[in-house]
Amino acid sequence: MRCHCSIIPNDVLKRFAEDEKLSAPERKNFADTALVDTEMRKLRLQAGKLTNVTAALSRAPVATVATPAITVADCNHSQTLPGAPVANPGSSADLTIKRAYDETKAVAEFYKTVFGRNSIDNAGMTLGSSVHYGVNYNNAFWNGMRMTYGDGDANIFIDFTKSNDVIGHELTHGVTQHTLQLAYSNQAGGLNESISDVFGTMFRQWRAGQTVNQADWLIGSEIMGPGAIARHFTCLRDMASPGAAHCLAPQPFHFSNYHAGMDPHYSSGIANFAFYKIAMAVGGQSWEKVGQIWYKAMTGFKPSVNMRMKTFADRTRKLAVSMYPGNVALQRAVNAGWIAVGL
Amino acid sequence: MGIVKIERIGGLGGFGGPHLKSRGECSLADLSAADQAAVDALFASQGKARAVPGNAPMRDGFSYRISRQTPTGTKTVEVPESMVPAALVSSVKDSIE
Ligand SMILES: [Zn+2]
Repeated sequence: MRCHCSIIPNDVLKRFAEDEKLSAPERKNFADTALVDTEMRKLRLQAGKLTNVTAALSRAPVATVATPAITVADCNHSQTLPGAPVANPGSSADLTIKRAYDETKAVAEFYKTVFGRNSIDNAGMTLGSSVHYGVNYNNAFWNGMRMTYGDGDANIFIDFTKSNDVIGHELTHGVTQHTLQLAYSNQAGGLNESISDVFGTMFRQWRAGQTVNQADWLIGSEIMGPGAIARHFTCLRDMASPGAAHCLAPQPFHFSNYHAGMDPHYSSGIANFAFYKIAMAVGGQSWEKVGQIWYKAMTGFKPSVNMRMKTFADRTRKLAVSMYPGNVALQRAVNAGWIAVGL
Repeated sequence: MGIVKIERIGGLGGFGGPHLKSRGECSLADLSAADQAAVDALFASQGKARAVPGNAPMRDGFSYRISRQTPTGTKTVEVPESMVPAALVSSVKDSIE
């Protein structure tokens, strides 16, 4: 039985471990799970403490490695993380492995050159990725320590490493974990998801050397499979038109349509559209000014686990004034962008 | 024994939204004793199951909404993928609607 029972109470597991109706191997399985569960809880507590310690350290000047190490592991279609380490992933003949390596390296370079950030924790943390996760697995995720990519089912989705904004999105979840520490539900969850889309798409534009007018603002356009394309879906999300018919996951983009409990991948449309409106009004390249405001709003303050969207919006308004005091047009653009989405 | 209905939700694509769906069902009787016990455990932990996923660092992970009939009506739990027995996971099929 595959069971990492981190939320089943230990007493329930122990009860099953002693349940006479179950066979001896099954009872042993529950006993083992109870044991693993106890250790997993300790590990999770330690991971939380580590995040807080590294966040505190990263605020102090530290001499660390200039660039983070990049590693890739191959799950070989299992769902066991991290998978087998790959030697020299940058020169692998497996294009998924090579792409995960190259694009993760580029995201690290993006954060370093554009924002002066040294990896996820700003202290040179190794960036680990796992590829070929599961069978026909239609997802990519950040598990708190590493990025993980499925190959898709070759119908709805293809290889999740193929959209570099997806790689930027997942890595940015790590940055958020080490900075604002946003929760993953309600308004904070929507902000969490939006920040990942915003930095993912900025990375994609930076990699292509695009201005805001040249960019297509699509999220996940290169992971659409033939079945999705045949039905005229061209992306997961479109930051320029979050509710459009060509989005496989169309989003609301006005705060009046937000409701508590909404999946953060939908409520993120509100802040996504605000960023798009502001970046377009300011012009040039998204990461030059508006991206700098967003980065400062994410990294320049204490953690704000349950942050509301209005609080984030007001923070960017204030930052537009303090970071660009003479640029009234930019300040107005930031204000207008948020007003456009009802914030 | 009854039917268990399973819906996979969330993930980077936001399964469970207007177009992306992933659903399945299986008969409790067809599950092994261990899987039946695991399902019982998921429902037994219902009250406590909600607190932890929000605190866990997993982002873009799948969750599963699992429903079954009880004498007092339909009971539903929502749990992260790592909690769900493989037999239930493999019963769902991704689709575009
Ligand atoms: Zn995400």
